[in-house]
Amino acid sequence: MNDLTLIRKGVFRKKVRATLLILSILVAFLIFGVLGAVNAAFGAGVDTAAANRLVTVNKINFTLSMPYAYYGRVRQVDGVENVTHANWFGGYYQEPRNFVQSFAVEPATYLAAYPELQFGEGQAEAFINTRDCLAVGADLLTQFEDWELGRRIPVRSNIWRQQDGSDTWEFEICAVFDGEQDNVPANYAFFHYEYYNEALQFGSDEIGWMVINTTDPSVNDQVIADIDEMFVNSRAESETTTEGAFNQAFVEQFGNIGMILTLVISAAFATILMIVGTTMFLAISERTREIAVLKTLGFSQPRIFTHVLSESVLLSLIGGLIGLGLAALFVSVAAAALSAFLPGLSMSTETILTAVAIMIGFGLITGLVPAINAMRVQIVDGLSKS
Amino acid sequence: MLQQIAAVTMINLRSIPQRWGMSLATILSIALVVAVLLGFLSMANGFRATISGTGSDDVAVMLRSGSQAELNSGFGRDEVRLMETAPGIARDSADNAILSAELYVIADGRKRSGGLDANLPLRGVGSAAPQLRQGFTLVEGRMFAEGSNELVVGEGVIREFSGFDYGSTIRLGANEWTVVGVFSTGGTVFDSEIWADIGVIQNLYQRGGSFQSMRAQLTSPEAIEALRAFVEAEPRLDLEVSTEKDYFADTAGGTSDLIMFLGWPLAIAMAIGALFGAWNAMYASVDSRITEIATLRTLGFSGFPAFVGTMVEALLLALIGGIVGALATYLVFNGWSASTLAGASFTQIVFSFAVTPTAVMSGIILALAVGFFGGFIPAIRAARVPLLAVHG
Repeated sequence: MNDLTLIRKGVFRKKVRATLLILSILVAFLIFGVLGAVNAAFGAGVDTAAANRLVTVNKINFTLSMPYAYYGRVRQVDGVENVTHANWFGGYYQEPRNFVQSFAVEPATYLAAYPELQFGEGQAEAFINTRDCLAVGADLLTQFEDWELGRRIPVRSNIWRQQDGSDTWEFEICAVFDGEQDNVPANYAFFHYEYYNEALQFGSDEIGWMVINTTDPSVNDQVIADIDEMFVNSRAESETTTEGAFNQAFVEQFGNIGMILTLVISAAFATILMIVGTTMFLAISERTREIAVLKTLGFSQPRIFTHVLSESVLLSLIGGLIGLGLAALFVSVAAAALSAFLPGLSMSTETILTAVAIMIGFGLITGLVPAINAMRVQIVDGLSKS
Repeated sequence: MLQQIAAVTMINLRSIPQRWGMSLATILSIALVVAVLLGFLSMANGFRATISGTGSDDVAVMLRSGSQAELNSGFGRDEVRLMETAPGIARDSADNAILSAELYVIADGRKRSGGLDANLPLRGVGSAAPQLRQGFTLVEGRMFAEGSNELVVGEGVIREFSGFDYGSTIRLGANEWTVVGVFSTGGTVFDSEIWADIGVIQNLYQRGGSFQSMRAQLTSPEAIEALRAFVEAEPRLDLEVSTEKDYFADTAGGTSDLIMFLGWPLAIAMAIGALFGAWNAMYASVDSRITEIATLRTLGFSGFPAFVGTMVEALLLALIGGIVGALATYLVFNGWSASTLAGASFTQIVFSFAVTPTAVMSGIILALAVGFFGGFIPAIRAARVPLLAVHG
């Protein structure tokens, strides 16, 4: 009989108890895994932000527009490699509830600004050269059964009107794009600014926001200062930030999601910590006699200490890994269903590694006091205890 | 039999202090489960109370057709003039229609917590706007003067955002504004808004003579039909008419549902974890009293009192846990102010967490369910303790 067998026997000494503990640990790590993935998906906009990408919006609020002329002026700024601009379209397909997140953009520079968007063979060129092309993200395309490459579709706007009073723009889906990686969103569509602007009944020659690629992240601060300086005291002052900061601020508008999730996860762990901690304490004190026997047989104090600690870590790992596995399964099913709403839902390596680290830490914490107690068992006391 | 049950139950309860560690762990773990559930429920309830408290039956809201929200809407002064002659709209003593044409712009406000910018609605209004909001009162100061760079600010904005305190000046874009008044509408959505003179907003935001929404006082809730018929029959009007109540129900119903859909599964998952804990604790409780139970059986007690005793212990621990959890949530969260981006208006709505009696009941029921299922199998075990165990 080696040490490992002893540890295994120790864990499953009372099968029902061990099973119950494993199940409650499992639940905690299931919650951790799922919420960790949700949190990462909310933060995806920050993770996928390019270090050299800036966003310029109207200083009052990003929903207010700026004059088209700003685009030309920002192109002249030192350290700017590429500028593009976009307008919010407020699109929907057939019915208002079929929301189509869509933007009117400057085609060639938009693609240059977002190199992580990948198109099928020849489709990027087709988008740039086709005046009424709608480039559709792969996750948006699957939302509507009758959308496919080459199809002409009408998209209505809840904001804009054409000069003839119509709120419908006709597009040909001539390009489909997807992100290079899972966490790059592909749940939106974009089309030519010119095609949209020339038909507008009101609000023409205005742009919603600009996206700027700088030559290097190190010049960001200078570029930001130069751009915003240019428009001070004009009718539309600008506010330029890095893409990461902009996305962070946007997510935070919904509330401090990170804090809420952390609170829930902490509550789940605190619950399980108390349950497992007290049970381990009880389990070891029940075994005082047994430990005394081991000592009599010549087991050293450190060896007994290690045994007890290994038991609690083993328990935690069994429950935790099963829970994490179930969470991964759940997340992969949910990811497909939520791709349009919460793109990039997946369990990252970081979440998995954090979880494993917590499992080990958790096992050590719950096992520490019982292990010290076990180590201190006096043979005489232990054996005389009936 | 009743005496037996009472006797065994007392033994159970009196022995709890001997196992205080596990009992306390059970109580606290159930308390945490209840706290998580109530946290989410009070958030959802508070949000819903704010939305459903907004909007009355006898106020009509008019937006450009197809626009779905004020932010997307737009129309000219001609349409406003036409509406002033519409049937069904109440008139004041001077025979003017009680109608308010408004503009809706989004401005950045800095959140007090976190310090990041978030969308706040800046509404351009005329003199009729306050009488079209039920319960509108000025808490501090006065209304803005016509044509001035003055703001009145909703109570909710002041609670959640910095820089809008009474008397302060604030810069929005290139313009300086002075906060000359604070208003309250008794916790409705409008408390999350900033108001300024419509003419000033039209001018500073290059909106010419355009508006985004109209609100009108109806002579009665039924008058909405006459108003709608008028709008549909008039080709110069491209408007959609709804009661204010329906308008708010449509725009922001989803958020509280979303919070509920998050809260319940999480609380139930945690409850399952706590259930295994309670089960385990009750097993330990039965184990530690196995000699006593067997002795009682030898004395002629039946198994049933042992079952009841264990169940009562489990349910009592759960109940205490539930009450502790509910109390803690009430003390920490009730009235807690928060804001979120919600609805088609695309702006922050400030609301207060509300720990309601119904939510507390849900929490206690969940706690008792954990106690019941956690205690059941150990209780059966207690009832089946073999007589021979007396020698253990």
